[in-house]
Amino acid sequence: MSPSLRKNLFIAFLVAPAFVILIGVVVYPFVYNVVLSFSNMNLRHIRDWEIVGLRNYVKVFTEPSQPDFYVIFIKTVVWTVVNLFFHVVIGVFLALVLNQKEIRGKGIFRTVLVLPWAVPQLIVALTWRGMFNYEYGSINQIMTRLGLPAVEWLRGPTEAFIAVIITNVWLGFPFMMVIALGALQSIPHDLYEAADIDGASWYHKLRNITIPLIKPVMVPAITLGTIWTFNNLNIIWLVSNAGEPSDSTHILVSFVYKAAFNFYRYGYGAALSMVIFFILLAFSLVFMRRTKAADAVY
Amino acid sequence: MPKPTFKRNLRVTASYAVLVLFCLIAVYPVSQVLTVSLRPADRLLSTSLEIIPANATLDNYINLFTRTDFLRWMGNSVLVTLTVTLTGVALASTAGYGFSRFAFVGKKAALQSMLVTQMFPATMLLLPMYIMLVKLGLINSYLGIMIMYSATALPFCVWQMKGYYDTIPSSLEEAGRIDGCSQFQTFTKIILPLASPALVITALFSFMSSWTEYVVAAQILQDTALWTLPIGLKSFESNMSTEWGLYGAASMIVTVPVVVLFLSLSKYLVSGLTLGSVKG
Amino acid sequence: MRYGLPIRPLFLLLAAAVSLSGCGGPKDDRVRITIWHQDRPDVRDVLQKQLDRFMALHPEVKVEQLFKETEELRSGFIIAAIAGQGPEIVYGPSDQVGPFQVMDIILPLDSLFDRTFLDQFTPKALTYYKGRLYKIADKMGNHLTLVYNKKLVPVPPRTEAELVAMGKALTKDTNGDGKVDQYGLTWNYTEPFFFIPFMTGFGGWIMDEEDRPTLNTAGTVNGLKFIKALRDEHRIIPNEADYNIADALFKDGHAGMIINGDWSWAGYQKAGLDIGVAPLPKITSTGLWCGTMVSPKGFSINANITEEKKRWAVELIRYLTSEENQMEATRTLFTMPTNRNVIRSGFVQNNEILRNSQIQIDNGQPMPVVPELRAIWDAMRPSYQAVLAGSRSPEQAATDMQLQALQRIREMNE
Repeated sequence: MSPSLRKNLFIAFLVAPAFVILIGVVVYPFVYNVVLSFSNMNLRHIRDWEIVGLRNYVKVFTEPSQPDFYVIFIKTVVWTVVNLFFHVVIGVFLALVLNQKEIRGKGIFRTVLVLPWAVPQLIVALTWRGMFNYEYGSINQIMTRLGLPAVEWLRGPTEAFIAVIITNVWLGFPFMMVIALGALQSIPHDLYEAADIDGASWYHKLRNITIPLIKPVMVPAITLGTIWTFNNLNIIWLVSNAGEPSDSTHILVSFVYKAAFNFYRYGYGAALSMVIFFILLAFSLVFMRRTKAADAVY
Repeated sequence: MPKPTFKRNLRVTASYAVLVLFCLIAVYPVSQVLTVSLRPADRLLSTSLEIIPANATLDNYINLFTRTDFLRWMGNSVLVTLTVTLTGVALASTAGYGFSRFAFVGKKAALQSMLVTQMFPATMLLLPMYIMLVKLGLINSYLGIMIMYSATALPFCVWQMKGYYDTIPSSLEEAGRIDGCSQFQTFTKIILPLASPALVITALFSFMSSWTEYVVAAQILQDTALWTLPIGLKSFESNMSTEWGLYGAASMIVTVPVVVLFLSLSKYLVSGLTLGSVKG
Repeated sequence: MRYGLPIRPLFLLLAAAVSLSGCGGPKDDRVRITIWHQDRPDVRDVLQKQLDRFMALHPEVKVEQLFKETEELRSGFIIAAIAGQGPEIVYGPSDQVGPFQVMDIILPLDSLFDRTFLDQFTPKALTYYKGRLYKIADKMGNHLTLVYNKKLVPVPPRTEAELVAMGKALTKDTNGDGKVDQYGLTWNYTEPFFFIPFMTGFGGWIMDEEDRPTLNTAGTVNGLKFIKALRDEHRIIPNEADYNIADALFKDGHAGMIINGDWSWAGYQKAGLDIGVAPLPKITSTGLWCGTMVSPKGFSINANITEEKKRWAVELIRYLTSEENQMEATRTLFTMPTNRNVIRSGFVQNNEILRNSQIQIDNGQPMPVVPELRAIWDAMRPSYQAVLAGSRSPEQAATDMQLQALQRIREMNE
């Protein structure tokens, strides 16, 4: 066996199994949806659907809807960006604090901090909803005790949106913390020691050692985190009681959900899903290129 | 170079303060779930703020084990989740290594396409996925959901392994090759141990994604004997009269294995290069 | 460096999981019938008892019940049925019939059951759509009632004026901290389904005979004004209440009355409350009772069913809707039966809760079965909540609801 063939076989051995599973599972549903997005499959044509061209795509962008497609799109972007920002900042910050030599009881801190990830989401999201209640919720009770005015969290559109985001930040930071904690382990101590000898400031060390070295692990996590958050309807649905007040807390996927499950408009839902797909594809291509995540560091 | 001790003490104290604060924030909502599980008569909410309710009872926990199939769901979930976790770790650790260390045709495209699989809203995938599994005869079978779960968790796991391998200097493998190890041996004996933090994260992520998954399981598993924990939990719910007591108790117990897993894996999370196995 | 995974414990754990799990066991060659339903736990217990008896009578059949949450039952059944699968029987309220019939995934039942069998039921129990029978119900339900805490409300109000007067007397600050901590009335009033009684009380309804939305009426406007007045003018309901908050307030004794359905009664009794159930009050200006949506809950058969299983499904439905089994359910669950003999029985006629439940059913309107109902709910929700938030006038909201509903219906039926 020639060395190059042997090397290729080794690569195939490493990469192929994961790929076969992925392709096996993903290709059919994806192609099915592409076809569906050009079809008129809906309540009246659930089995006898046919290809009708771009009609669904035109509708996605032009059909008047309440709330408006473009408003929802902007909300989705805000929702995603704010969530990811806090997930990553809080997660990395806690990981850095935990990673200091002097801290004792790390195991306990780590475990307690990971709890929001570990508890079943449905019930915790609903207890958060209870915590946001104007009169009986603990958040307002704490705020008034601290001399702050009580907030009508679930009645105003902006307040409700903030409440949903707070809940999701709480649910999501442990994940980023764990990833960052893992990533920090790959940084050899001597790099910091050398920097200390040069008299580098903490900011300088963060900027020039920590961030570049955790980047290869964090960038994929952030990319995927963005994709998941963009499409994560559950928490919004539970905390805002399906979009209250007045459908003002929806994000784009709730349109997909409603189209498919409430109105049986499968063709339209598939077209909207394709649009979401392309938005996320464009984002990840740009983001990955900017951060050079596919390249090696050494 | 001695540091000014005052500054150091300040930093350590501040760190503890931050950690305690965040621990409180992390625990409080969970303590509310505990309260629900101790409250009689299925109340999700209450007008009082006590964590241990006035008439606390363990009935919900007792009922959970005596009146429901909780243990069987637990067994089913452990079976599915462990298989998915082991598969995920095995496939991701190898594929990630391939992507990190070797140049081959279509590598970047392959890496990107892994992410692409996560971008499509899951809502719309349910119908074709179901049709596909019917055609393959995998409805009502664990093989069906195990494959689905592995495929869902893989993109993240592969990327995360690849990212971690990227930070391990390749000089280490060259040293191994000089010592006479084969390619496969350098991978398993030198690189894999160093990547244990990433393996832990991969394991944890695969575990969580199948331990808590509900939508796919509910569509595929149409036999109560096959139910996993999330479907079981959901059965305590009904439109307007959910058995919140049982739901809370089950949620607390479902959390325990995750915490145990995290505790037992977390020593591997902080080993690796920093243990000094490479230095010197 | 040792990094070995804990292989042995892992292996033991897997072995334990396999033994606990549903894997293996002897193969079972009985005919399998599965029922999907969305019923609450105590109803499931009664159903299970009846299924066990049925299986004892027919050892060659195995029947399994599977709980699915309402939305999930519908979407899950559609997905499974399109792929040629799914449970043999679906059980639920009558609004399933419209979409399932249009998609052709349930069977017409006319030819499967004889006239004498069907004649034992009250006509409301049989759901016809486009001239054919698609569902046979064993319970009447989904109606909302006025539940009151007898300790706080000795006699329930009969008109909306009495409701407001009583509410005002009950709403107070009991511990002197300057905040109201006991309300006259509470309920999940942000949800359109819970608004329907007031819409009908003021003479409105959601659809006409041709299934066109009729949301832009005086009934809607006055109903909206009334609910807003309860909160902002009379101040007898809490500022913010969803289902769980309302439930907690009532269970904790902080509300004298709650508007809720038959599914909630047992829970209130379990919480130690002495409750009474009364029909919702009459609106004086219109002379109409606040009527709610009433729906039969019953059995439909999957269109994909095999001939052999169809025979058993029919047999099973006959059994589950029988007089004895309905009597059993009514006695244990206080649900309203559909069998004429059970309705006439002393138990139903003499029980105060059931009698009032029956009055509320008689005051109500049948829930429409057409798929367009989904569009109506979806159109009502945002405008309704905007009125409660004070950002839209009731008149504007009624207009908006109507327009939205028309658009949604057009989109659905393309």
